[in-house]
Amino acid sequence: MTAAETPVLEVRDLQMHFPVGGGILDRLRLGRGGVRFENPVVHAVNGVSFRIAPGEIMALVGESGCGKSTVAKSIARIYRPTGGQVLLEGEDIAQHGFARMLPVRAKMQMIFQDPYASLNPRQRVRDIVAEPLLEQRKGADRATVRDEIAALLARVGLNAEHAGRYPHQFSGGQRQRIGIARALSVRPNLIVADEPVSALDVSIQAQILNLMKDLRDEFGLAYLFISHDLSVVHHIADSVGVMYLGFMVEKAPRDVLFARPRHPYTRALLSAAPSIKPRRDVEEIALSGEVPSALALPSGCCFRTRCPFAWERCAAERPKLQALGDGQQVACHLIDEPERDKA
Amino acid sequence: MAVTSVLRSEFFHNYRHSASAIIGSGLMALFAFAVIAGPFLVAQNPYDIAALDLMDSYKPPVWLEGGDPRYWLGTDGQGRDVWASILYGARISVFIGVVAMLASCALGTLLGLVAGFYGGIVDSVIMRIADIQLSFPSILIALFLMSAVGTGVDKVLIALTAVGWVVYARTVRGSTLSEIEKEYVQAARVAGLPNRKIIRKHVLPNVLTPLIVIATIQVGTFVLIEASLSFLGVGVPITQPSLGLLIKNGFDVLFSGLWWTSVFPGVAIMMLVFGINLFGDFLRDELNPRLK
Amino acid sequence: MAQESETPLLAVRDLRTWFHTFSGVVKAVNGVSFEIGEGEVMGLVGESGGGKSVIGFSVLGLIDSPGRIEGGEILFDGEDLAQAGEERLRHIRGRHISMVFQDPMTSLNPLHTVGRQMDEVLRLHTDLGAAERRKACIDMLESVGISRAAERLKAYPHQFSGGMRQRVVIAIALLAGPRLIIADEPTTALDVTIQSQILKLMRRQIAEKGASMILITHDLAVVSEMADHITVLYCGKVVERGRTRDLIESPAHPYTRGLIDSIPDPAARHDRLRQIPGSVPDIRALPKGCNFRERCPRAQALCAETEPDLTKQHRSLWAACHFPLVPGDVQ
Repeated sequence: MTAAETPVLEVRDLQMHFPVGGGILDRLRLGRGGVRFENPVVHAVNGVSFRIAPGEIMALVGESGCGKSTVAKSIARIYRPTGGQVLLEGEDIAQHGFARMLPVRAKMQMIFQDPYASLNPRQRVRDIVAEPLLEQRKGADRATVRDEIAALLARVGLNAEHAGRYPHQFSGGQRQRIGIARALSVRPNLIVADEPVSALDVSIQAQILNLMKDLRDEFGLAYLFISHDLSVVHHIADSVGVMYLGFMVEKAPRDVLFARPRHPYTRALLSAAPSIKPRRDVEEIALSGEVPSALALPSGCCFRTRCPFAWERCAAERPKLQALGDGQQVACHLIDEPERDKA
Repeated sequence: MAVTSVLRSEFFHNYRHSASAIIGSGLMALFAFAVIAGPFLVAQNPYDIAALDLMDSYKPPVWLEGGDPRYWLGTDGQGRDVWASILYGARISVFIGVVAMLASCALGTLLGLVAGFYGGIVDSVIMRIADIQLSFPSILIALFLMSAVGTGVDKVLIALTAVGWVVYARTVRGSTLSEIEKEYVQAARVAGLPNRKIIRKHVLPNVLTPLIVIATIQVGTFVLIEASLSFLGVGVPITQPSLGLLIKNGFDVLFSGLWWTSVFPGVAIMMLVFGINLFGDFLRDELNPRLK
Repeated sequence: MAQESETPLLAVRDLRTWFHTFSGVVKAVNGVSFEIGEGEVMGLVGESGGGKSVIGFSVLGLIDSPGRIEGGEILFDGEDLAQAGEERLRHIRGRHISMVFQDPMTSLNPLHTVGRQMDEVLRLHTDLGAAERRKACIDMLESVGISRAAERLKAYPHQFSGGMRQRVVIAIALLAGPRLIIADEPTTALDVTIQSQILKLMRRQIAEKGASMILITHDLAVVSEMADHITVLYCGKVVERGRTRDLIESPAHPYTRGLIDSIPDPAARHDRLRQIPGSVPDIRALPKGCNFRERCPRAQALCAETEPDLTKQHRSLWAACHFPLVPGDVQ
């Protein structure tokens, strides 16, 4: 991506914190100091920034609980971000109310993970696909809409007679195509895709990934592509952000990241991914332990509790993303002290 | 087309092979018929004073000595045909049960949707009222309300609705909470649908199924509560006697050997509620996939 | 495979497990045969609806109505488990054959401590005294990488994270020294860094104990790193089997080829993935002839008429295909 181009999406210091646990009575705690209220907060996203150029596919990878889906849903404004900016074609939509979001919805749509849960079982396919369209064009001509839906269904590989059926009559891959048609219906410039192929069989996965790439080429779409699967990300993304515990730990163009991963977590992810090819001489970084709770973040570097290289500085000081050239950015103290990088 | 698809469905197949479903729905159909056609089945209108003859009072059922072939279940103290009274009384009982159920269902579903969808303080208020409501026996609350507002069919309906909405509200709130986590509700948000439309198009249709069972069984419960209220003298007025009131009227003379005026309406209530519960159990098994 | 050598540990012959549902007979497993020798790991691969999990449940005798084993033999150490009574199966399960499922919560009882659940296995299947059992439990937990094992025996399943829970399940599965472990998608619910820990652990434990394993998974990459042999299923039938390397490097069946090509390969710089067109047919209404022909690029008239049998192909491979691929073919 060139710096001069206006990005279709720019996210600055996005934060999303969720309060835990329901009503007033649930939060009441009786302790030695008498009665007090607890307000525990899940730190799901802690200051994430990135930008996506028109037609670019940017992937966010990480393991469960790393906040990648929360980033997607905050951008798509299913959630209202706790802090930071979400600039869609220059307009900050982070705190928009319902009425101001409506025109934004025509520029940005979303594809969901679970092809079984993302379609209302009681709606016909044509009503599902037309839903975003009808909100944008109140009182649209029925015949025009019907023709548009038929064309959309054809474009994603379904046929017109499918329009009158219900979701349960379709396979997982076909349902995901319906979800894609729904997102496409308003001709958005950006599609947020939250794990769009992880629930599909591998042969169907390939079909959907190919379809998404074709649509990018045809409509000039940009994608924010959320995934935990590195081989999928390597196939589809132009640039990749690696997330851990709500932080972006590394960010780079695809080829740079896969050829020269710098953050210990990225390296561990790459070495842990199973492959059908016999092992090349990949550096093995085995991680011990598991991801700490987002209720109580570790001090300093979020990754230090599992990092094989961690030393005192990592507990004391939170590393910031530093640019390394070739568009690569890494948040790790090892960059300053490379002599410690000995496994 | 639609008919054949129903006849071929798994639901209908299981229905045909379930004794409780057939007996239950048979009893329900019997009462539905009695409620609709009742007045045409009997010669005497028990509430037309002109049609009553005090000479005919306390006739025993026809198979006992002194029975009158015109009154096969006997008569009461005013010479009213017990069979005719049951047919007329069942109309009122079933009407109250069904209408109160519909009102409870509508109110409870609305409150449950609002509580579950919006959460926060609205949710807390609605659900705490429901909790308080549930910590008293429903008959007690109904009794309390009736003594406050007075008797009458409309008052009974209000009392039953005030008691009955809670179960719908709780169920609907629970399903709503799980529905709004589903991706299709999030997809509707991304599509730009306003909250009211999301509730109406996406949440409501998907929380209704479990209510069918509750609603069915509740009609039976309401018939019983109404009977209890009327028996206690705070239910329907004497001019519109339900089955419960018939039992009460006969109860005074029950131990003088004139048992038929009280026992036959009792048997009618039992059959009605039994039929509803049998069918309700079948529906529960069919509609709850976890029990399969 | 262990065809001619000594008797295999497990030989499944022409297994048919059908489900009689209201909307028709689902022939989930329809004539599947395979063998596993002592100390071998066999991968059972296929997409959803392939019948791979049903095979695992059939071997364990855990098929419930409306499912039924319609025919075939499940010879474990020469004994036909398909004919064995529930009593006998209960003895074999846990003692000689144990299982690891995808969701550790389904195999752990949330109401009992881990220690109690482990102790129960040993009480049922061994003659050890209480102190010996406790020691065996602690040793086993430590060997699957759980620290402070003595303390952790008192913990309940929910006090463990997903990866730790799967370690506990594996510990329980290994406890009675079984000769065969059936692992059904053991790492599918886990993150990739945890998955690699668990896979390493399983590989080491199996090798140390000399046990055999059936690894059921949809993930070719996982089996290719774990298994000695692979059996590929499609619509309830074996379409191909053979040694892992042979099958991954040059499969004979177009379906296997398609599965391998569908995996994005970082080394190959294609813009598009090769994909298998269409989707798995409805198993209640399978096409005549070869089940795969409607999605197959090599299908010809013959494929619509007769269903191919499993025949010997190049190297160690057996495939059910009229027009199999040979090494060097490009599909």
